[in-house]
Amino acid sequence: MRALEPVPDRAALLSLAVAGTVAVAPYALELPIWLVLLFLAFALWRYAIERWSLYHPGRTLRYALTGLAVALTFQQYHTLLGRDAGLMLLIALLGVKFLELKRYRDYWVSAFLFYLVILGAFLYEQSLALGLYALVAVLANTAALVHFAAPDELNLGARLRLASGLIFRALPLMLLLYFLFPRLHGALWALPDDSSQALTGLDDTMQLGDINHLAESSDLAMRVAFEGEIPARRDRYFRALVLWETDGRSWRRGPALGDAAEMVPRGPPWRYEVVLEPSNRRWLPALDLPFGPPPQARVRAGFTLEHREAVRERLRYALTSFMRYTTGELTERERAAALQLPDTISPRARALAKEWATEHGDAREIANAALTLFRREAFVYTLTPPPLGADPVDEFLFGTRRGFCEHYAAAFVTLMRAANVPARVVTGYQGGEVNEAGGYLMLRQQDAHAWAEVWVAGTGWTRFDPTAAIAPERVELGTLGVGPIADSLQGIEIGIFERGWLTTRLYWDLANLSWYRWVSDFGPERQRELLAALGLERVSLRGLLLLMMTAVLAVALLYALWLARNRERLDPAQRAYARFCRKLARAGVARAPAEGPVALAERAMAHLPDKRAAIDAITKSYVAARYGSGGRIALSPLRRAVRAFR
Amino acid sequence: MASAIEDDVVTLDRRSIYILPTRAGVAFTGLLFVLLVAAINYSNGLAYGLTFLLAAVALVALLYTHRNLHRVRISTGNAPPVFAGEVASFEVCLSNSGQTPRVALRVEQEEARSDARPPWRMAGRMQVARVHLGEGETACVTVSLPTLRRGYLHAPAISLSTEFPLGIAHAWSRRVMLPTRVLVYPRPAPPRPRLAAAGGGEQAGTGAARSGDDFAGLREYARGDSLRHVHWKAVARGQGWLTKEFGGGALGVQWLDWDALEGLEAEVRLSVLTRWVLDAEQVGELYGLRLPGKIVEPGSGEAHRDCCLVALALFGES
Repeated sequence: MRALEPVPDRAALLSLAVAGTVAVAPYALELPIWLVLLFLAFALWRYAIERWSLYHPGRTLRYALTGLAVALTFQQYHTLLGRDAGLMLLIALLGVKFLELKRYRDYWVSAFLFYLVILGAFLYEQSLALGLYALVAVLANTAALVHFAAPDELNLGARLRLASGLIFRALPLMLLLYFLFPRLHGALWALPDDSSQALTGLDDTMQLGDINHLAESSDLAMRVAFEGEIPARRDRYFRALVLWETDGRSWRRGPALGDAAEMVPRGPPWRYEVVLEPSNRRWLPALDLPFGPPPQARVRAGFTLEHREAVRERLRYALTSFMRYTTGELTERERAAALQLPDTISPRARALAKEWATEHGDAREIANAALTLFRREAFVYTLTPPPLGADPVDEFLFGTRRGFCEHYAAAFVTLMRAANVPARVVTGYQGGEVNEAGGYLMLRQQDAHAWAEVWVAGTGWTRFDPTAAIAPERVELGTLGVGPIADSLQGIEIGIFERGWLTTRLYWDLANLSWYRWVSDFGPERQRELLAALGLERVSLRGLLLLMMTAVLAVALLYALWLARNRERLDPAQRAYARFCRKLARAGVARAPAEGPVALAERAMAHLPDKRAAIDAITKSYVAARYGSGGRIALSPLRRAVRAFR
Repeated sequence: MASAIEDDVVTLDRRSIYILPTRAGVAFTGLLFVLLVAAINYSNGLAYGLTFLLAAVALVALLYTHRNLHRVRISTGNAPPVFAGEVASFEVCLSNSGQTPRVALRVEQEEARSDARPPWRMAGRMQVARVHLGEGETACVTVSLPTLRRGYLHAPAISLSTEFPLGIAHAWSRRVMLPTRVLVYPRPAPPRPRLAAAGGGEQAGTGAARSGDDFAGLREYARGDSLRHVHWKAVARGQGWLTKEFGGGALGVQWLDWDALEGLEAEVRLSVLTRWVLDAEQVGELYGLRLPGKIVEPGSGEAHRDCCLVALALFGES
């Protein structure tokens, strides 16, 4: 008995090895790199065994290698559970599995588990790039499955075409399932806490010189989509933290001062949505003064928003802010905190402040006097200031006079407090880049900024940005407008390539944001929003499931009909003859199923005696064209005769 | 004879195809469940996406598997006669009149014959062949059955099945009863001296010789005429089936007679007569066959031999 069912060959092994390698490759970034190399080594080992008929490891060796995989994992993580250890074990065992492949069933099991490996990579990152990569991995794996089902029949190209056709046709069904499958809150069971790594971003403490590091980072901090137009650059102050307490060198938030004071809007509201990148901090930046906190957050004194927990994943929140407002009276505690100064403040700084205080009675005038000082004297805005010693404010004011936003904000607030004017430092982001493609604002770490707020009788907390006084372009153009790069760029027109690159970057960012909104952030709330937009506000869980299944079945039915349409190919003689049969049927002689042409002709000739000759001629040329040696030569008389037949 | 041109063709329609998941398909469903749990547990949008993509791929693959069999045409080809004890083979042709290729079709035949089963079940499946049909292609495979008795032997039921493209679903067709049968001649007995029936003279018959070397004319085709003598050109011209007749030299006539084997069982007699027919033909004699209720006039040649063998094979059957 010959073997009818094919047995796996080297080509099948190669398909599986390629699919596995593509699936495992992303782990090189997340798990120890030797794991990926180990997997590859097993695949190559098995391939070499088949290629050069090497010694095939016996069961004992294979069990030993399995034990080794478990031991290595345990040695690395001291557990076999959890995300990292679990995935590492899975990949290592799939490597060893290469040595155990025998029948197609083993190949199938491996390929199925590769899908799990592809999914595992999403637990580390949910980026658009990884999503696109995963599509390629799914294609490779599906093509491998097609290979196992039809090893001899289809070549590589046909397999890839078939697999991509499958995936392409699956996409509409997938989208239905994706958007309609009821999304659930939270995890089914507690997840082990995989600690987040340190992230760059604004710190809770401002050491003079800190924001400098951020100025070099073009990492995205947040995206802001406004409901209406985007405010002008000079108005785009996003507060993250208010720093009250200082020891002369660093500024901190100090002890909690309770909830925020009252705010009375004096202008139009600005509605917007923020997508915050993971910061590993609890603050949520908000434009100027936010009105009320988003869910899971509260407003702290100083109108900063504090999230319930540190932001470890991208977070989306909607806010309303006001840029014209008055705030209420200061509490005693707030006044005390807003005037706190260490004793180490130098006498000449105090003297300068006292001078202003006696000269101008009003807090606003005192603040303006300080700004005038920065503008008039030889203060320089630079991202590379000289280092400062024990009393940085004094050294900066009377010595170096070179610094950036932090230096100016700290010096300004120190002077205000010395003049007995309540003041505080505010840190956050300022400016940002408008993404024309998506119509939203992108704020990067380099947009981090520090400014000051002064309490003015009558209006309450009022923003003063001393940096704007010394380097208005920092506020008008962003950090790029000042640093050494800007110096070299100034006067040079941006070339077409740079512009193209910038545009591409904006579109890529837009794609990433959309990806985030529809993939990473698509949870129960967003699903409810989507359904509400479709007019399904109050659909129950069961209703949603029913809707999903109906939609999927409807699409599947359409596919089934479309696939069944698989057109028949008639040869030209059959087409002409079919036309003749239709004409005969109209004349009252319908062809019976399985009735041959000769029998039909006999019946037709009896029924239509006056057309005997024509019927006979057509039948003869059809038989000749289809079965005789006439072939194509008989074709044209047949066509002509059928056309002429009435 | 006109319908011989358009053979009996069975086309697999939607109602004659069944589909169920394979073991791999059940495993794949389990995998999808695991993926879904992971997606829910980690609230991972991309994981949801992958899970649903694979579920959708499985669903589309199911439709592909079904389509792989849908509208495959099954027709029968040659089924030459055999002697009892030999293996009868039936030619089965599968054709794909559509544009999409039919990949990895399995042809299976039923091992035991019975008609009382539901159409989706066969009494024992035996894989016969694996077939690939490209656009508009036809492929023929041979289904074979051992023969035991003389007479007509019907072809076994066959069924097509496929697991293409992902191996997660198994689609199979209903049992297709092939409208074809093989004529089984009696098993030739071991060589045995020829006996003449009492009263049957060696030269008794003077029937016209129906075979020889010289072309003698055309006559209506009769069942049992050698296909080699059919006037194919006439068939192609639509003039019906004609057989070319050949004349030859007359020899002495041998009568192979049922009555000469008195005392033997009927089947044994038939076996012996079969042997005699074969021997007489080999020698090139003129011979006739005399059975109760059936006489084949003397003659020679393959068509004549087949005529005698048919009479022997169908002896006693109406």
